[in-house]
Amino acid sequence: MSAGIYVHVPFCLTRCGYCDFNAYAGLDELKPRYLRALLTEAGLAAPAWDGASVESVFLGGGTPTTMTAGDLGSLLGALRDAFEVSPDAEVTTEANPDTVEEASLAALLAGGYTRLSMGAQSFDPAVLRSLERLHSPDSVRRAFAAARAAGYVNVNLDLIYGAHGETLESWERTLGETIALAPEHVSAYALTIEPATPLGRAVARGDVPEPDPDVQADMFQLACSMLRDAGFGHYEVSNWARPGYECRHNLGYWRREPYLGLGAGAHSYRDDHRWWNVRPPEEYLAMVERGELPVGGEETLDPSDAYLEEVFLRLRILEGVPSSWVEDDRAEPFLESGLLLEDDGSLVPTERGMLLLNELVLGLAASSAAR
Amino acid sequence: MSTDTSHIRNFCIVAHIDHGKSTLADRLLEVTHTVADRDMRAQYLDKMDLERERGITIKAQSVRLLHDGFELNLIDTPGHVDFTYEVSRSLEACEGAVLLVDAAQGLEAQTLANYHLARDAGLVIVPALNKIDLPAAEPEQRTKELANLLDCDPADILHISAKSGAGVDELLQAVIDRVPPPVGDVAKPLQALIFDSMFDPYRGVITYVRVQEGVLPSHARIRMFATHVESEAEETGVNAPEPTPVPELGPGEVGYLVTGLKDVHHAKVGDTITLAGKQGATEPLPGYREPKPMVWSGLFPADGSDYADLRDALDKLKLSDAALHFEPETSQALGFGFRCGFLGLLHMDIVKERLEREFDLELIATAPNVEFHVFRGTEMTIVHNPAEMPPGGDYDKVEEPVVYATVITPSDYLGAVMGLCQERRGELVDMSYLTPERVEVHYVLPMAEIVFDFFDHLKSGTRGYASLDYEPWGQQEADLVRVDVLLHGEPVDAFSTIVHREKSYAYGKKMVERLKELIPRQMFDVAVQAAIGSKIIARETVKAKRKDVLAKCYGGDITRKRKLLETQKKGKERMRRVGRVDVPQEAFIQALRVDDGGSAKGKK
Repeated sequence: MSAGIYVHVPFCLTRCGYCDFNAYAGLDELKPRYLRALLTEAGLAAPAWDGASVESVFLGGGTPTTMTAGDLGSLLGALRDAFEVSPDAEVTTEANPDTVEEASLAALLAGGYTRLSMGAQSFDPAVLRSLERLHSPDSVRRAFAAARAAGYVNVNLDLIYGAHGETLESWERTLGETIALAPEHVSAYALTIEPATPLGRAVARGDVPEPDPDVQADMFQLACSMLRDAGFGHYEVSNWARPGYECRHNLGYWRREPYLGLGAGAHSYRDDHRWWNVRPPEEYLAMVERGELPVGGEETLDPSDAYLEEVFLRLRILEGVPSSWVEDDRAEPFLESGLLLEDDGSLVPTERGMLLLNELVLGLAASSAAR
Repeated sequence: MSTDTSHIRNFCIVAHIDHGKSTLADRLLEVTHTVADRDMRAQYLDKMDLERERGITIKAQSVRLLHDGFELNLIDTPGHVDFTYEVSRSLEACEGAVLLVDAAQGLEAQTLANYHLARDAGLVIVPALNKIDLPAAEPEQRTKELANLLDCDPADILHISAKSGAGVDELLQAVIDRVPPPVGDVAKPLQALIFDSMFDPYRGVITYVRVQEGVLPSHARIRMFATHVESEAEETGVNAPEPTPVPELGPGEVGYLVTGLKDVHHAKVGDTITLAGKQGATEPLPGYREPKPMVWSGLFPADGSDYADLRDALDKLKLSDAALHFEPETSQALGFGFRCGFLGLLHMDIVKERLEREFDLELIATAPNVEFHVFRGTEMTIVHNPAEMPPGGDYDKVEEPVVYATVITPSDYLGAVMGLCQERRGELVDMSYLTPERVEVHYVLPMAEIVFDFFDHLKSGTRGYASLDYEPWGQQEADLVRVDVLLHGEPVDAFSTIVHREKSYAYGKKMVERLKELIPRQMFDVAVQAAIGSKIIARETVKAKRKDVLAKCYGGDITRKRKLLETQKKGKERMRRVGRVDVPQEAFIQALRVDDGGSAKGKK
């Protein structure tokens, strides 16, 4: 069995208004305990994963690079001791442009982190301010150059589009700047308003307008065409890569392969069973320090849940759903209206279909008996 | 056993809304020690939450007060123009009426209407000015006005404050002195008037009755005249103010009867109860009539599977609400429901709220309409539902109900009142000055124009000073058309309405604009159109949606994404389908709201 490992680092310099991840500013004094707890948890979890070959490790957050390269290096070392991490595993860490420089990046690379995922978000200062990101477009360029200088040959840039104040023209410039840097991988996410965030509350109060879905649709289509022209392959709704640089770790999630999550709020999956750790870092620390697995919840997928996930994820990664799974009359309207293509026995979303993916999923997954 | 009639007084209080009727009732309960101080609460007799919240009496209630060896039965009548028939039946149970007038406000339209009803019922009027302790009170002016109306000696008009209790003892004495005792013969066959009835989940049908002749024993086989139903009655009692069993109710007495009936349609307000068999009366008391609904609306369960529950709930409400009519209706858009007839808009609101609160139902109500008479040649069809009206003018003429409306307004606002009535297609009948500052105006107005928001506009146009009362005044021909609303070419029957031709364009425009905001974007452009027959009079387009995708799906939290999809799926399943268009419940509810506020906010 091959598997992935996700490690959650909940620390951030500041909280951004749009973000609803399990992340905290001002908990820096917990870092040493947290690092020890991750190692303890890895030890507790490892026996159940005996025999699994770990093909990817992903550090997400939060901002993993708020921890020192040395700490992150010893973390990875500990994971290699506890699990069978394959020698050519993809090992990614997320990075905030303001928390890295050439020396620290070189140390990370030396410590075994071979892939870097950088939160650029935008090259428009107004958009960065609107997202409450502290960094400037220049710091993205600087950090990217530092990554190259440190020897990174597999770098992702994360982008967010559709924030208040962003126009199609501004988004076009951001895409142009991104392409000019020539990263191996680009993730571009439409800004989603999460109710339980400062931005969500501002939208609810009417202080900030909700993103216009039509503008976001235009932005998506612009990203599709500019990135395609620049030689990127579109392999998931929000992800593009040069051939061979698709993120193996994320593909594991989407292909419903097993993964183990370590850290506060991290999710795990194996054999139609999902479980997740408690979210608050203090609670996580307390449970691990008592020698318990910090599990906060779990679910076992029944066949219809599993089928819905399968359809949803297959459509997202553009592998498509086998035509044989779906009754003809369900697929037909989508084929006719150009949201789906039939390709070699599979139903695959078109660009317009990707934008209306929820409709496709609900329309196709309704025939749950067909699997 | 029962009280000697010479020591009984049956009376009610008639007043314009807010003139202090419920406060006076509270004070009478206190002064006569009917309710202990510690148990007292405001608006004691208003039993329903709704009544207390709205500050009005919906149901007639009676309570027995004991004072100086007299049995005083206070019958608290409904206080709204919708319930004129119920008021008239409650009046039948009395020999006297306290006519209560606010000493600051003076005579109002409802004061006059209720006074006329009480006088027509042959009641002795005990006039009283209330709120005399208010700084704005003008007792002398009001006394003159009232004496003029009643053609009585100003000295006979009592001055009281229901709030402080001043003058309330004197009022009680006046009731005893001036209101005649009831007449009735214990030896005659039983005739008892039902002036209210209700359904108790444990005891079945309970009626409130006034015995006119004979004796109503606690246990007896009884018969209803109008419905020809017989039953074993289980208990007689009086409200003092909590229900208290008594062995029997004699002539002139007022109380309740647990009828033993379980079926909800058999004990109607206004009907006469007698004993079954040979000892029973041969004639009912005069004056019973089937109450006639004035306003109709379709009520549909938001969840189609609640249809049977809605039917049961309506059956139960009908028992205590003889004016409620309903018949099954099928709507293409809303499924199975009922076309319900109401006395007026308040009555409709109350029924709807009671169904939702007491029976825990979620409802969609179509826009209310009046009853139309559609003529084709000599053939006349009664239309309670716009969908039944032939579209596109395939008829010779349409008649609509009109009312004779009385408005009393300060003369400063006469222009505003007349402007409003004109705009609502009213025809001026006459006007007269009650005093140099106050005018009484009469209009004949289409019922359809006043049942919705006329009263609100009247109030806002006169800074709250004008009052309104009206009574049915027959049918009148009008240039009425049916406006349909189409979604993607499919008519939505629930949105059809009948309006005057001159107002059809504005109505159509308002509806399509509202729906444009309420209908979620679909996978294709949706035309929203208003039409008279095949002629389109307004159009908007709901543009096809382009984006409906979860942006981010990583970090391994697939569970949450799946749940979002499941939520979306459930939301879709709850929508109604009109042709190919999915319409959420909320869109129906919002689009059918009675207010004319085009403020359909909250884009979906």
